[in-house]
Amino acid sequence: MDLFEDLKVLGVNIDDGLRRLNGNATLYKRLLNAFVGTLEKYYIDLDFDENNCTEITEKAHAIKGIAGNLSITPLYKSYTQIVDLLRANKAEDARKILEISLPVQEEIVNCIKKHIQ
Amino acid sequence: MNKEKTILIVDDIEINRIILAEIFKDQYNVVEAENGLQALEIMNNNLNISAVLLDLVMPVLNGIEVLKRMNKNGRIKTIPVFLITAESNEETLLEGYNLGATDVITKPFMPHFLRHRIVNIIELYSHRNELETIVADQIKNLNKINQSIVETLATLIEFRDCESGEHVKRISGLTKMLMKQVSDMYPEYHLPQSEIDKIGTSSILHDVGKISIPDSILNKPGRLTNEEFATMKLHTVKGCEILQSIPNMMDKGIYDYSYDICRHHHERWDGRGYPDGLSGDDISIWAQVVSVADVYDALTSERVYKKAYDHSKAVDMINNGECGTFNPKLLEAFKAVEKEIIDKKWSNI
Repeated sequence: MDLFEDLKVLGVNIDDGLRRLNGNATLYKRLLNAFVGTLEKYYIDLDFDENNCTEITEKAHAIKGIAGNLSITPLYKSYTQIVDLLRANKAEDARKILEISLPVQEEIVNCIKKHIQ
Repeated sequence: MNKEKTILIVDDIEINRIILAEIFKDQYNVVEAENGLQALEIMNNNLNISAVLLDLVMPVLNGIEVLKRMNKNGRIKTIPVFLITAESNEETLLEGYNLGATDVITKPFMPHFLRHRIVNIIELYSHRNELETIVADQIKNLNKINQSIVETLATLIEFRDCESGEHVKRISGLTKMLMKQVSDMYPEYHLPQSEIDKIGTSSILHDVGKISIPDSILNKPGRLTNEEFATMKLHTVKGCEILQSIPNMMDKGIYDYSYDICRHHHERWDGRGYPDGLSGDDISIWAQVVSVADVYDALTSERVYKKAYDHSKAVDMINNGECGTFNPKLLEAFKAVEKEIIDKKWSNI
């Protein structure tokens, strides 16, 4: 299977993502690859310091935005929840969502790396 | 497609910038900034930005700060700003709208709708900006026409008065300078520069009524008899009659100032002037200013009946009340601009 098929299995809405890029599959793949780098830059550790909520919220907010635009729906949904919970000062609840979300994130990252890098 | 127009995409995350650029690159030039400060620099250096797609959460300078600065420099009136954000915080979005954002588009966006919304607004702004430029040009032309009508009238009077056109230019210059000083020194007399400019233009017509005074009186070399002086004093009211007969030839503001100045530029602070014997602040500040300018210019100019006085003698005579009493605040303002009067050689000596 190719990258897009594999990502579809993981819940990424490939058709929607391609539509956003005028059907430019090459560009989509390039951006997915760049997304891996961005995730490393904005990585949120599971034992994040809840006294540093502003920075964590900004990171989660950034991932939410990119995931949404690239139609990486599972991550978009989980990071939307994380941002909302952090803003509501519910750091522990946010941590629980992050705990569920990180393995999914890892699977998506590995899939992209396997096909592109 | 029209690629004369440029869209500025402001987002700290390159992926987001690339996605947006992909949507607009065929229709517009696209420039990118990775924070608010860069965006402002680009706007300063490129006056043809047609729209800004602005992220809210960014390092260095965030989107809200960019909007605040665009309000300060006035750009928000001419450039539509779209907040493109994953932000769902109502307060922040509302603040964005209150600061003049045209629209908020949330990520993930639908490219077709996004394109249509932005293209429509760009066209709307472009049309509005063009109309504003046309109106501004027309106002400029009208002002030029006003100015030449006023100057033509004033030149006609001066021909009869055996003076050069320099007199009205000096009166206009002195009036503007003195009016600005009074406006800056005394809050109760404060006026915006646009009004001061109109007053300067209107002052040119202060003596328009002299056109109705017989040559034998207007250009008499010696002292006027009481009867002749009474006729001469009529130039104030005759001037108003002339202006009343041509109200549509002038801008309404200039007409109103001209009428008032024409009638009251010989009134005096103590009520001993003419034609209405007004006193104190019953005389408009612009008529008072033209009085002083007119007296100063008359003193420092040679006339058929007298030689010209030098600047300091003229100032002494004004301050001593030899030419009637003036508003003390006006005399203070006159003192403050004395150096400028000498520098600009508004004294006729």
